[in-house]
Amino acid sequence: MGRITLDKVTKSFGEVQVIPPLDLTIEDGEFVVFVGPSGCGKSTLLRLIAGLEDVTSGEIRIDGRNATETPPARRGLAMVFQSYALYPHMSVRKNIAFPLRMAGLEKAEQDRRVVEAAKVLNLTDYLDRRPGQLSGGQRQRVAIGRAIVREPAAFLFDEPLSNLDAALRVGMRLEISELHERLKTTMIYVTHDQVEAMTMADKIVVLRAGNIEQVGSPLDLYHTPRNLFVAGFIGSPKMNLINGNAAKQHGASTIGVRPEHLRIVPEGGLWTGTVGVSEHLGSDTFLHVHDTGLADVITVRAEGEVGLRHGDTIHLTPREDKVHRFDEQGGRVA
Amino acid sequence: MATQHSRSAARLMISPAVILLLGWMLIPLALTLYFSFLRYNLLMPGTNPFVGLENYSYFLSDPAFTAAMVNTLLLVGGVLVITVVGGILLALLLDQDIWGQGVVRILVIAPFFVMPTVSALVWKNMFMNPVNGLFAHLAEFLGLSAFDFLSQAPLASIIGIVSWQWLPFATLILLTAMQSLDSEQLEAAEMDGAGPLSRFWFIMLPHLARAITVVVLIQTIFLLSVFAEILVTTNGGPGTASTNLTYLVYAESLLRFDVGTGSAGGVVAIILANIVAIFLMRMIGKNLDA
Repeated sequence: MGRITLDKVTKSFGEVQVIPPLDLTIEDGEFVVFVGPSGCGKSTLLRLIAGLEDVTSGEIRIDGRNATETPPARRGLAMVFQSYALYPHMSVRKNIAFPLRMAGLEKAEQDRRVVEAAKVLNLTDYLDRRPGQLSGGQRQRVAIGRAIVREPAAFLFDEPLSNLDAALRVGMRLEISELHERLKTTMIYVTHDQVEAMTMADKIVVLRAGNIEQVGSPLDLYHTPRNLFVAGFIGSPKMNLINGNAAKQHGASTIGVRPEHLRIVPEGGLWTGTVGVSEHLGSDTFLHVHDTGLADVITVRAEGEVGLRHGDTIHLTPREDKVHRFDEQGGRVA
Repeated sequence: MATQHSRSAARLMISPAVILLLGWMLIPLALTLYFSFLRYNLLMPGTNPFVGLENYSYFLSDPAFTAAMVNTLLLVGGVLVITVVGGILLALLLDQDIWGQGVVRILVIAPFFVMPTVSALVWKNMFMNPVNGLFAHLAEFLGLSAFDFLSQAPLASIIGIVSWQWLPFATLILLTAMQSLDSEQLEAAEMDGAGPLSRFWFIMLPHLARAITVVVLIQTIFLLSVFAEILVTTNGGPGTASTNLTYLVYAESLLRFDVGTGSAGGVVAIILANIVAIFLMRMIGKNLDA
């Protein structure tokens, strides 16, 4: 079980309030991703849940029990740190067994669980090595192993992949998703990478300056961003945000069109511009269009290859049903 | 860079320093070795005949030698235990966020800047003096009779004085080591259910192992040659109760004017120091490997 409820939780460091009153419910078995730009308070929020920081006011409930004052070790949560935080002087086996040893489990039971965890994480061959002799991905797996042997109510991940190279990150992303499928345990995952958020989450929590901007499934956030911030943050390449007359024609202060919802038409499109840099990915081409009079640059995603070169004129038409409208406060207009 | 020419130029450039250093070390060493084979007493001037190993057998069979050996080991061992344990505890305290942290840290380091003769004299006259010392006053205040530290427990007193001097050094090194510990490791251990004592034992102490090694090695080198503290407090006495090897060599050559035996003692001290060094490196040197 791992249902976590935050009730009007706030956190201040001295005079500065980094988390204004915040309510959030995380259901049992959910994979929740906290995402936001750096400094938005997502790591602080995770540390509040872990108990590594004390809440200033409000209540944290784990499975209905008030855990606000419970020390971290007795909350039944396990955390994977950004730096992995492995114990460098212990072998992998001892690292993974450490929480069990602290819990005073029998040696045989410790061994059994360590071996089991190592099998799940493909670490069996490395059990007698020190963390210093492992690669980044292996260290990451040891850190996860140390978390899973405790059989916690929920896993907390604090930007666990940000120290890995791009290829390894994709692999570990899959492994963590796989692990979630198998264990069905609640996982809370903090990242600043919206791709990680989109691919892994059951539920994304977008944070800005300690405020929850929107909570929803990845596709909810993609299709109906509640405000300009979420619209700009979710999606890659970023949504084109257009002010001025073009927006007024749509009856909004700002409109947003995703690069994949702009069609290139031979003649007489709604908007015209000059092609700048085009990025060829093979499957897709990202065109950066200038001089449209709408914004500095408009990004267009075209499928496959496009016969347009630097300096060519391009005509564009947005898919009307995919235009997002926002009012002056940045809120969504239905 | 490494052409024949530049290499010979480099050799030429460093040769003054090398020659100076060699001269500085080799000439005294050679002379000491030479004197140790002569009957050379300043009270009997004249010929200094070659006597072979007589000085050595005289020095090694002297009952004072065994006492001095034991005292040297007790002094080094005692100070090491006190400074390492005390240093870890002090470093733990200083690592906390407290008001006036900077001032407190400077105060802790202060004893290291007091030269040995001065600190020993301060301890001898202001603290341990059985009539005027602070400890005597304290004992009197509590209704006890004053304890004459330097005659009742001379070696322990000197261990105390030397520990007081070296505690700041150990504290400083251990404090910096403690500050280099990744706080996420401690947090991870906290999440893993380790209490404060377990965190100290399983995470902090192993992290400090290397710093402790450095403290032990450096202090051993200096503690083997403690001299000033003994000279200004007990003069090695009563009897030989606080004579260490360094002081014994001094007593032979400059109090008994026997340069030959003194030199033999010096050579013995060098050999013993190296034996200690080899054992130390064997025992704890592996901590220094990366």
